[in-house]
Amino acid sequence: MQSNVNAKMNGNVRRGLRLSDILVTILISLVLGVVYHFWGSVYGLFKPLFFQADEMMYGMWFAASTLAFLLIRKPGVALIAELAAAHVEVLFGSGWGLSMLLYGFIQGLGAELVFAAFRYRNYTAWAAALAGAASAVGSMFVDIYMAYTDSYVLWMYLAKYSMRIASGAIIAGLLMFALAKALERTGVASLLRPASAKDYAALDDSRDV
Amino acid sequence: MSFWKPERLTWLHRANPVVKLGVLVGLFLMTVLTHDIDFILYQAVVFTVCLLALSGIKLSKMLLLSVPFLIAFLSSSTSMMLFGRGEDVWWQWGLFRVTEESFYRGLHLGFKGITFAAEGLLFVTTTSSVALFYGLMQKLKLAPKYAYSFMASIRLLPMVWEEYVVRRQALQVRGIRPIRGVKGAVHRAGMYAVPLLAQSIRRAHRVAAAMEAKKFNGETGKHRTYYYVSRFTVYDVLIVLLLAGAACISYMIANFYPWFGIGDVRF
Repeated sequence: MQSNVNAKMNGNVRRGLRLSDILVTILISLVLGVVYHFWGSVYGLFKPLFFQADEMMYGMWFAASTLAFLLIRKPGVALIAELAAAHVEVLFGSGWGLSMLLYGFIQGLGAELVFAAFRYRNYTAWAAALAGAASAVGSMFVDIYMAYTDSYVLWMYLAKYSMRIASGAIIAGLLMFALAKALERTGVASLLRPASAKDYAALDDSRDV
Repeated sequence: MSFWKPERLTWLHRANPVVKLGVLVGLFLMTVLTHDIDFILYQAVVFTVCLLALSGIKLSKMLLLSVPFLIAFLSSSTSMMLFGRGEDVWWQWGLFRVTEESFYRGLHLGFKGITFAAEGLLFVTTTSSVALFYGLMQKLKLAPKYAYSFMASIRLLPMVWEEYVVRRQALQVRGIRPIRGVKGAVHRAGMYAVPLLAQSIRRAHRVAAAMEAKKFNGETGKHRTYYYVSRFTVYDVLIVLLLAGAACISYMIANFYPWFGIGDVRF
């Protein structure tokens, strides 16, 4: 406890990622990375529903950044999470190979920039939804370069990406927000976060001299 | 991972992972920047040959691995063929409209998908993640806290699977009947997601506390030593020459024997 208080005094607690933050981020992302790997088949199930309906499920592939950030709440976590999840896919020998890492990097960067714009202090559902949408926009740019999607006919292009952005906001944003809230109720989140000012205030008992 | 256990060791196994990663990232960028359909066709062929020659794993496993190749080819090419912009219409049915330009662009994307898959598998089949992260720490000065976190969490992943099995058995013992259909799948996902994630966070946190106590975070002193020493050897030079040579060969054949001869596929 004493060392924690000292660290707080020196301002070390909030700054930088500790090994435990990174390990938890990566493990969450690896679990989600396994989900990512098999998500392709869920994605495929939606294909026959209506045209480009599979895009509605795309948001799952942005989930690692928002979930990890909502739990750990530190700078850099969103980017690492998405990269780690993408690295699982490379490890499993996915057909997409190294391009997965590029997608992961840009998608993570999209979410990271949104959280950074809120100075890493906004943990609401809105911020998460915005981060999910930003990941979708990031993946759109990679698509344009890698898959020439800008040369689709216009209506197709708009349908594809508006669905993807909405899916990013709903699945990666709102759904992961709900999951993070459910995880907070189990009490694990208290392991991850640095002690708040309220916790320190609780230490000061006025009866102590 | 035992699945990737090679039948024979090749030059690629003996090369330093950092060099290998560097070369393959270079090749990856080359493939990304290729917009010429002949060049990409020969890249796909040449790197698939490289993969068969250098991965050292059994041919039967290779056939299993060719499934993602096929998926990559199909899913990258079909939607571009059907919905790409173009002038010269070959076939039209409702919303589907195949033009000459979009057909070749789709084919180009398919070959690109195969090339990416081959380049990715060249790395994955010949490199263990432990060797990679030790190499990154020693040669590229990646902070040990990142490298050890990655290595530890890869080892923790099977435990998450164990948790999953335990959870499934627990639900069975309590007599919870699975609901069928989409609603059931969503319900099931909810029953597993929270306990599995909470448990893995707890476990990761415990492991991290132990690792921090053992100074795996590497905050003290720059001159730490490593159990596995990552070295550069003559095989690094060999694979750089070999893979760069492969890229050059595909470029030259594309110039001398173009199949399509239509050049840039972009609209």
